[in-house]
Amino acid sequence: MGVTTDQDEQTDAPSSGPDSPSSPRRRGTGRIAFAVSVFGELLITVGLVLGLFVVYSLWWTNVLADRKADRQGDKVRDHWAAEKDSGPGALDTKDGIGFLHVPAMDNGEVLVEMGTSAKVLNDGVAGYYTDPVKATLPMTGLTGNFALAAHRDGHGAKFHNIDKLRKGDPVVFETKDDWYVYKVFAILPETSKYNVKVLSAVPKQAGVTKPGHYITLTTCTPVFTSEYRYIVWGELERVDKVDSERTPPPELR
Amino acid sequence: MYGWIWRRLPGNAWIKAMISLVLVLAVVYVLFQYVFPWAEPLLPFNDVTVDNQ
Repeated sequence: MGVTTDQDEQTDAPSSGPDSPSSPRRRGTGRIAFAVSVFGELLITVGLVLGLFVVYSLWWTNVLADRKADRQGDKVRDHWAAEKDSGPGALDTKDGIGFLHVPAMDNGEVLVEMGTSAKVLNDGVAGYYTDPVKATLPMTGLTGNFALAAHRDGHGAKFHNIDKLRKGDPVVFETKDDWYVYKVFAILPETSKYNVKVLSAVPKQAGVTKPGHYITLTTCTPVFTSEYRYIVWGELERVDKVDSERTPPPELR
Repeated sequence: MYGWIWRRLPGNAWIKAMISLVLVLAVVYVLFQYVFPWAEPLLPFNDVTVDNQ
């Protein structure tokens, strides 16, 4: 609507003085004035488009991603409910392997899917790394690093509040049969985006030297940019069996 | 530019305003649906992973 009021003003101005006596003089300056006004309008247009792009990035992509993530999450839960009677089925990694609960981030559950490509992450989920370092999934029971990535802003912004995490905070990963309760033990607030060592099975930068069951959360930082990466490490504390009501572990209550 | 468009719209001011609104909404739709999703991966605002490329 702002655009239409602009148009009103512009059409009013020339119509107030039609056939003005100074028209021969105006022809020369008129052409310049016309060029300047077109240029000005183009600048206004560019500004509006950039403003709309911000709205798109920070709001609209969240709407789309949350909708998609909810649908995919429901699908995973439906799968789990259906499989309950038929015993443990094959691990279905296509729709998602489980849900991440981080009370400190205060954003509910985050579906975890395979891969960290833009296509996966733009659906408002967290992805576990398959490249450059393959993440070790907690369900395998093997020691290793369960490395995840998610968006800081836009597309669900699932790790937006990663800076709210403190040492000792719980990070809980829910699968069909188990709750994996991790405790945050190291935080790296800023590192290069090429620092793939943070994903290694024994992340030395986190101050550990022995193999263990680690989890790594990565996202971009500072907010609204992709200048650096923010890393949070946790270590598995215990594994709780999921009961028939899916009662969450005390950390989530 | 906008004045030129405005003068070429038919009808009185109200009809012109309505058509303008529809045009604006159409432009916003095209931007959100096609232009921004295309432009976004080209801009360095939303890379969250670490990699060695």
